[in-house]
Amino acid sequence: MATDFQGDLRSRTVVRTYTAMGPSLSPLTSLRMAFGELYWSRHVVWHLFRRDFVVGFRQKLLGYLWIVLVPLIGIASFVFMQSTGILNPGDIGYPYPVFVFIGTTLWAIFMTAMGNVANGLIGNTDLVMRTNIPKIGLAVTGLAPLSYSVLVGFVVLAIVMMTVRMLPSAWAVLYPFAILPIILLGVGMGLILSVVGAVARDVTGMATTVINLVMYVTPVIYETKFEHPVLQFIVLWNPLTYLVDTPRSLFVLGRVPNPLGFTLSTIFALVVFCVGIHAFYIIKDKVSERL
Amino acid sequence: MTSKDWAIRAEGVSKKFGLTLRQSMNYGLRDIGARLLGRSNSETLREGEFWAVNDASFEVRGGQALGIMGVNGSGKTTLLRILNGVYAPDRGMVQMKGRVGALIAAGAGFAPMLTGRENVYVNGALLGLSTREIDGLMDEIVAFAELGQFIDLPVKNYSSGMYVRLGFAIAALSRPDVLLMDEVLAVGDMNFQKKCYDHILRLKRDGAAIILVSHSPGAIWSVCDRGLFMDKGKVLVEGPVEDVIRAYDDQNSRNAKTSAAQFEIAAGTHAGKIESDNEAGTSAEEVIPNSYGHNKGGTGDAICTNVVLRDVGTEQPKEEFGFGEPILITADVELKETQEDLLIRFTVDAVHYRFIVTVDNYEQGLEWKRVEAGRYSLRVVMKDPNFRPGAYTFNMGISRKTVGVHLFYWFGAARMVVLHPSDKFLYSDNNAIMFINSDFALEAVASGSIVGAPVA
Repeated sequence: MATDFQGDLRSRTVVRTYTAMGPSLSPLTSLRMAFGELYWSRHVVWHLFRRDFVVGFRQKLLGYLWIVLVPLIGIASFVFMQSTGILNPGDIGYPYPVFVFIGTTLWAIFMTAMGNVANGLIGNTDLVMRTNIPKIGLAVTGLAPLSYSVLVGFVVLAIVMMTVRMLPSAWAVLYPFAILPIILLGVGMGLILSVVGAVARDVTGMATTVINLVMYVTPVIYETKFEHPVLQFIVLWNPLTYLVDTPRSLFVLGRVPNPLGFTLSTIFALVVFCVGIHAFYIIKDKVSERL
Repeated sequence: MTSKDWAIRAEGVSKKFGLTLRQSMNYGLRDIGARLLGRSNSETLREGEFWAVNDASFEVRGGQALGIMGVNGSGKTTLLRILNGVYAPDRGMVQMKGRVGALIAAGAGFAPMLTGRENVYVNGALLGLSTREIDGLMDEIVAFAELGQFIDLPVKNYSSGMYVRLGFAIAALSRPDVLLMDEVLAVGDMNFQKKCYDHILRLKRDGAAIILVSHSPGAIWSVCDRGLFMDKGKVLVEGPVEDVIRAYDDQNSRNAKTSAAQFEIAAGTHAGKIESDNEAGTSAEEVIPNSYGHNKGGTGDAICTNVVLRDVGTEQPKEEFGFGEPILITADVELKETQEDLLIRFTVDAVHYRFIVTVDNYEQGLEWKRVEAGRYSLRVVMKDPNFRPGAYTFNMGISRKTVGVHLFYWFGAARMVVLHPSDKFLYSDNNAIMFINSDFALEAVASGSIVGAPVA
């Protein structure tokens, strides 16, 4: 829909125009519209974001302990498999629990970003059908639980580091920036899935299943040093390899193992993000009528 | 009618939908494909699609209220959703000036775990209020919703009435420039409803443009000045709210007539099937059962066919009569044997009531002492009917003074619709069926002066 706002959404002089959308919408226009609409609806998005964040906490009021226990139990199984020799993570150079915890956390961030953005519209059907807040805002509010789990992840990570008596490197302050690309990639893929998924609901599920397989060629729970040339090739060209490995190495060891790989992967994530926004804007008005 | 001070403007707005989910998914995927390839979506209907809203144009100024009426499926809600920016139109354009408050959004985004107060902020933000504005409105909202201390209770513990009251209070107090409402005036108890009406009318006086979608003529009449009557996506009437209510009511009457007839055909087919199963299809002719409990029956001594309602002047058959218009009933009657003290009677059913009227030859002062066997044509003129607008069904019966049962009876022999008059506005009660001309007088006891003036 060619939605055109003039002025601030909250002001009395704003004129909304809804028309049938023409075929032409350049990628730049859709990017501008996305950021414009997010800016205009920032109050709403903020309130929804806060709502989901608060609800996430409040529902678990029965036990903050539980929030911390769940990820710990998660890594416990990997640590168990590694200590019994079932799982051979390769030569890491630092305690395996730290490796596997950061790896699974990053993977969870990626999957949550993708899944929540993809389901943002379906989960907010009520708001889509009854209010006129920009749909991109609704897609973005899906990131609230993500920031919630990132926060919890930090607490748990501190516990894990204390347990193995390790200090993070000084470069760990850059960690929040280093995880941005993997979030962007997740959001971009989620945006694409959100529009396709709203029309054909099984697409999101299928994509999630396929991407879960990708985890086995990404250094999440083990170093991906495969002998097989095909697997080697896949790992080499898998952008997630660098997006997971770099923040972790930066946090623990204070170095970037493959700067070129990380740069290219970041560019790839940015491109997917922009394509996601563009696709979202081209077809979003087809979404509400088929929710 | 384009003027500068419009608040809501719609020009040729159209929206199409697919009939089945499968088709709509199919077309949806194809549309998405076309969009990604940079092609525009087709503006014409494809197989299995229909226009939910077709070429709707109107304008509402600030301080005006527009009522949208139509039977179910006429496209009202779709139009409202287009206005609210939920659906993009497939053709045409919608423009709105200022802050849009949608009462269809009342209670939208309420999170059960949060308290009423916290939800006010979320819902208020959805309606375009800033946090500071909500701070200022909070006391007013709590008072309006009559929640008191419960505002700090999680919404999941609210009763449905409290929930709706809070949602309404936020939307109503957000002082929108454009207010979109969909059947929401029926919330809460009578006092709360009165408060809602008062508030909406105050918004209107303060210059808000209001669009109200409702099935209730009373709600539309009390709030709106102008209206749209929609049918199958098209705007059939645009004008004074009285005309719209008349058109809507007439359409309802027509639908009631059609659905009653269809129901009877379906029930008749069902009964006929059972009978033909029982009798193994012995006769191709219509069998008239010799007992009660059917649409048609009797002893078989008399049969009536072709009950037709006609215009008294032209004698042309018709099914829609003006208010107060005389009705000519014609029928063919066949008596198998000579009958003494013959009685022929028509009764009329309204939608919710049976036998509201009976016209009987003896009552009307005509005796048939002895009628020979043979074929007759019957004419009855109902001279001054005072049916209110609505749908009516005619039944007929033939009997004899000395016989306790019907020689012949026929329920649903004919149907008609009485249309709204243009010189009177009969709005007061949809269930009423008779109009009785009356003189009203209201005299002030102190001064003796007579209050009131004739309706313009």
